[in-house]
Amino acid sequence: MNLVYKLLQKNISPSRFVGFLVSNFIGLAIIGAGLQFWLDARSIWSREDSFLKSDYLAINKVIDASRTIGGGTTEFSAEEIADIEHQAWVKRVGEFRRADFNVHASVALDGGTGRQMSTAMFFESVPEGFLDVDRNSFSWQEGDEEVPIIISKDYLALYNFGFAGAAGLPRLSESLVSGIPLRLTLVSEDGSRRIQMLGRVAGYSNRFNTILVPRTFLDTMNIRLGSNGGRVTPGPDSATAAPSRLIVDVSSPGDAAIAPYLKERGWEVAGDKSASGAAYLLKVVAGTVMAVGVMITLLSALILTLSLSLLMERNRRKLHSLLMLGFPVKTVAKPYWRVTALSGVLAGALAYGTLLLLRSTYIHPLEGLGATPGTTLWSLLIILLLTIIIILLNCVAVTRRVRAAWR
Amino acid sequence: MNPESKDYHIRQIRLENMLPEVFVNEHVPHSDIWQTDRVFDRGRHYLVEAPSGGGKSSLMAYIYGNRTDYRGKLSFNGRDTRSLSMGIWQMLRRRHIAYLPQELDLFPELTCIENIRLKNDLTGHVPPARIDEWLERLGIDFRRDTPAGRMSIGQQQRLAIIRALCMPFDFILLDEPVSHLDAANNRIAADIIDEEAARQGAGVISTSVGNPLLLHSAISIKL
Repeated sequence: MNLVYKLLQKNISPSRFVGFLVSNFIGLAIIGAGLQFWLDARSIWSREDSFLKSDYLAINKVIDASRTIGGGTTEFSAEEIADIEHQAWVKRVGEFRRADFNVHASVALDGGTGRQMSTAMFFESVPEGFLDVDRNSFSWQEGDEEVPIIISKDYLALYNFGFAGAAGLPRLSESLVSGIPLRLTLVSEDGSRRIQMLGRVAGYSNRFNTILVPRTFLDTMNIRLGSNGGRVTPGPDSATAAPSRLIVDVSSPGDAAIAPYLKERGWEVAGDKSASGAAYLLKVVAGTVMAVGVMITLLSALILTLSLSLLMERNRRKLHSLLMLGFPVKTVAKPYWRVTALSGVLAGALAYGTLLLLRSTYIHPLEGLGATPGTTLWSLLIILLLTIIIILLNCVAVTRRVRAAWR
Repeated sequence: MNPESKDYHIRQIRLENMLPEVFVNEHVPHSDIWQTDRVFDRGRHYLVEAPSGGGKSSLMAYIYGNRTDYRGKLSFNGRDTRSLSMGIWQMLRRRHIAYLPQELDLFPELTCIENIRLKNDLTGHVPPARIDEWLERLGIDFRRDTPAGRMSIGQQQRLAIIRALCMPFDFILLDEPVSHLDAANNRIAADIIDEEAARQGAGVISTSVGNPLLLHSAISIKL
């Protein structure tokens, strides 16, 4: 055995070594687990519609008694739209446009027997750039006999779990509904004009409580059937053009500035209301957990540095004697580097193992909640990085201590 | 020549007008070393005689790079030693300057042979057979596996002499090397040091306060 090791290792106390190992391990495990949980869980809140990016919010004014009775408007004025556009968290704003005609939809329930179900409907549209959909599956051109429709997921749920059960009708899956052609009858307000069309459900949204059709379709039909002669171009003088809902492209749905801004004005985010709040909460919780982990890791690194310093101070005479014999600083520092590296690597490995163990307990319930688990690569990298940083810093401190024992 | 090059040797140690800081405001009696121009040449033997408190351990520490609390200039082959880096000093301590400190600086928990091997493993200089021969001649071979801390002070001194020799050197600094040895052991130690210095063509600088190392043809210097 190397005599330098024999000489220096004598004073390295196992209890102090274990103490550092444990605190460092706890710190790293907390950081890693916090990060991992955030990576795994965030998909629940940021779940995206297949055709809609998650950073879009649909905003409307809260409908309350004063607006219903007192004649307060639920529509956004041009000034209000301009104000939103100037917020830092807003990338761009689009407006929902309503159909200026009535819609009836009917579905043939059993082929040729004539039994059918019909309902009154409405259409809205958003500017094209806001929908992240395949142009071919969600577009309409003059002459097309079929129009694609995106409906709220809630509508199907309402039918399946509320209406179908009570009325003794079959429950429908999303794909089944998409396969059924809808017969649409579009009627002008005064009933004088009507157009027959076919509709097809092209997608479902759990963020918008509305029925969306391509804007080209809505504009064309508003011209043909609209009560005000197709004046669809938005302008301050056009009552019908003032939208009651806006679609907003935001830089981050979890931005802390969004909620207070909307609340102050009595507006709300439609659709998945919990999205921004919960995502924000998740960020805060995960951030807090990781900050605690960082604190503990820093403290444990400090403990190691201090106990190494203490140890080396006690060994100062020995270090000095070794240097007097002509040993290079590197050789004298090496046993301490080894202790530092060994405990660091052990703590890192234990922390990662614990993280994986923890993850195995929550990952199934989380998947049950509809989360798409993230990769463990990032937490591995972070733990690795922190371990390396801690080891390097302590090695530098050790080397300085050895050099200090020279004279 | 660059001290790091393979065939570098310290041919000359020169002290110019040197004086330990502690003596600065004191009356310094006449000295062959302080406040004068003194040269130590490689290959020669010097016996530095000094009263205690005369600064001989300081002198050793200055030459070994261990302390710098002096006025004046100390140079190796003309190069001021204050300009040497820690890395170069460590290299000099492995290849060019051997040192036996007065306090011996042994590791009490290591055995006699481990203390020697600690140094010899670092330099790889002395064949094990010669170490065994030295242990035998100095009469401590039976203490080979005894922890140094349990050896008598005289035995420790002999052990420290052997350890100091376990490297190539241009100069060997011996600070009161035989203060605890009888005349017979003094003779043996002096012979071994003589032989080894001759083998390497090295200079010897040995101090004493009255029991000088019995070196052959040594130049006597009064501190």
